[in-house]
Amino acid sequence: MASEKLNMIEQFKNLDILKVDRRTFLKAVAALGATSFVSLYGNQLAAAMSEITETKVLWLHGAECTGCTISALNASSPDFVDALSRLNVSLAFHETLLAPQGIFVDGELVGNSELNVEILLDELVKAGGYILVVEGAIGNGPDGTGKINMIGTHTFKDIYSKAAKNADAIIALGTCATYGGVTVTDSATKRYCDFMGVNQTEQRRGGMNAHLGIRDKPVINLPGCPAHPDWLFLTMAAVILGRIDLNDLSGVLDREGRLKVFYPPTHTIHDNCPRRGFYDRGVLDVRFAEGGCLWKVGCKAPYAHGDCALRKKNSGTSVCMQAGGPCIACVEPIYPNGVMPYYVETESAGILFGINIGTVAALTIGAAVVAAGVHAVRRVNKEK
Amino acid sequence: MSNVQKTKLVVERYNWVERWTHTFHAIAMLVLIFTGLAIYFGWGQLISYHNARLLHMFMVPVLLATNWILVPYGILSHGWQEGGVKGIVKHFYYNYLFNIEDYRRLKGMVLNFFGRQKEYPPYTVYNKATGHYKTKLHPLFKIFIVVEGMAIFLIVITGIVIYAVDWSFIGIPIAEWLLIIFGWISPILNMNGLQFARWLHLALTYFFIAELICHAFILQFSSKNFMYWRSIFVDGKEYLDSPIVQVTDEEEH
Repeated sequence: MASEKLNMIEQFKNLDILKVDRRTFLKAVAALGATSFVSLYGNQLAAAMSEITETKVLWLHGAECTGCTISALNASSPDFVDALSRLNVSLAFHETLLAPQGIFVDGELVGNSELNVEILLDELVKAGGYILVVEGAIGNGPDGTGKINMIGTHTFKDIYSKAAKNADAIIALGTCATYGGVTVTDSATKRYCDFMGVNQTEQRRGGMNAHLGIRDKPVINLPGCPAHPDWLFLTMAAVILGRIDLNDLSGVLDREGRLKVFYPPTHTIHDNCPRRGFYDRGVLDVRFAEGGCLWKVGCKAPYAHGDCALRKKNSGTSVCMQAGGPCIACVEPIYPNGVMPYYVETESAGILFGINIGTVAALTIGAAVVAAGVHAVRRVNKEK
Repeated sequence: MSNVQKTKLVVERYNWVERWTHTFHAIAMLVLIFTGLAIYFGWGQLISYHNARLLHMFMVPVLLATNWILVPYGILSHGWQEGGVKGIVKHFYYNYLFNIEDYRRLKGMVLNFFGRQKEYPPYTVYNKATGHYKTKLHPLFKIFIVVEGMAIFLIVITGIVIYAVDWSFIGIPIAEWLLIIFGWISPILNMNGLQFARWLHLALTYFFIAELICHAFILQFSSKNFMYWRSIFVDGKEYLDSPIVQVTDEEEH
C-alpha cells in the first residue's frame, strides 16, 4: 500500500495542478488524499489562493450528533484551521465553534451581529454569496411544521430554508444531511418526526429541497457517519478552484449525488479492504476477533461505495474493518435501515416476516428431498 | 384418426445436439452451484476462492451457450422441420408451454399418485403419420422450463453486477443500467441495488438446487420415466410401447 501511494505521488508530482483538466485534478484529489495533495501542491495552491477572493462558508447543524464536525476538527495535515486558511475560507457561521448566544428582549432580537448570533445569521443569509454546509437531517414533522427540530425559537426547517435559498451551493455533510441517516431509523415515531436529507431521504429523491421548492441549487452529497475530513476539504478546494463546475455537476456526481472520486461507482469498499486477502482465501470469521474477513459477521463493504479502505481514517492509519469492526455501509442511502442488524450479513437478515433466505432455502430444499423420497417409495410400491 | 395401439417402434426422442446440450447444461449448472456456494460460504478447504471463481466464470459462457443458443436452436430446427414458421410456433406451444391438455395430464398423474385414478396418463404423444412428436415433455417439466428460463436470465443479470459493477459491452454500460433497474426494486426489501443483486443471486442458486432435486429425483425417480435418463444422456431412444407414450396416426392440417 505504501509503495502504491509512492507511485501515485510520483505520477502526480510534476503536474501543474492549476492547469490540468478537471478529470486529472479530481483523479489527483482522489488518489492522494488531503495530506499528500496539500504537501505536493501547497505552493501552487497558496499562489492560486492569493488570487482568489475569500470564500464564505455557512455551516448549519440540524438533527445530528456533531460527529462530522468532530471528524473535521480531527483532521491533520492540514488540520481544520490550516485547511480553511490555505483555502482562503471564512467560516462565517458554525454553531458548535462560535459558542452562539441570542439575546431577546420582549421576544425581539437585540444587540448586533457580534453579540447576537441570530442577527449574525440573518445578516449572512441576506448578504448571500456563501457555500452552505449542512450537517444533520432537517426535521419536517410533526405535520410539516418542522417543530421536531427547534434551534432557539426557530425551526431548523425555516433556518435551512432561508439559508439554502441564498446559498451559491450546498454541501450536505454526513449521512444525516444527505439521506437522513440515523434520524430516519425505522421506529414508531419516524413518520411524526419526518426527518429529511437535503436532496434525498433514504432512497427517495427530493428531500427537503423538493419539499421547500428549492430547485436547481447545486448540491454535493458527502455521506459518511462521520464524513471523512478529506472529502470535505478537497471538495471545497475543487469548488473554490473552479475544478468542479457548480452549474454542471452531472459528470462528477453519482446517482446518489455523491462525488464519484470519493464514492467510486466502479468499486466497493470490499475491493480494497485490508482484510480482502482473507476473503479470497475463504477465511470468513463467524465470530469477532478471529482475524479474518468480516463478511459473515455482517460486513456491508461488498455493497458500499467509498474510498474508505484506501483513504483510511485517523490520519490514514486505520479503517473500520482494519480495527475489527464490520463496515456498516454508512455512506449508502440505505443506512441504517437497510444494513441492520449490523452484525448479520445481508443474506442472513430476515426478509419476509423475519425469515431469512437461508431458512427459506433449507425448508424448500428439505421439502424437495422429502417429496422426492416419498414419490420414489410410492411409485415403487405401486409398480409392485 | 387417433390410434392408441402400441408398437415396438423405436424413434429418436433426443438427437445428439439435444443430448449434448442437456449434458453441458447440467454440468454447467452443477459446477456453477458448487463454485458459487464455495465462494459464498468460503469453502477454502475444498477449493480455493480463485479456482472457484475461475471455474464459475468459465461455466457462465457454457451455460449461456447451451441455454441461449443451443436450446433455441433445437426448438427452431425441430419446428422448422415440422412446417416452417407455423411449425416453429406450434412446436414451441405444444412442446414447451403448459397448456390445458398438460393440466389434464398433470391432474391425472396426481390422482394416480394418490390412488384415485388407475391410469397414469401418457404425456408423450408421438404422431406416426408425421414422424414428429406432438408433445414430449412431462407437464411439470414444462412449468420448470419456463420458470428456469426466467431464473437463468435473472441469475445472469445479477451475476453481471456482482462480477463487475462497471461491466460494459461494446461501450454500453450494462452493469450501470442494471444497477439502476435493481435500484427501482430494491427499496421494497430495504436494500440498495447491489445488495439486492447479491441477495437475489443467492436466492436463485437455492432455487436451482430445489429445482434440480424435483427435476432429477421426483420426475425421473419413477419407473415409468426412468428410461429417459438413458435416453437424454446416452442413446436418445424412445420405445413407443412405453405406457407413458401415446401413439397417434393423424394427418396434419
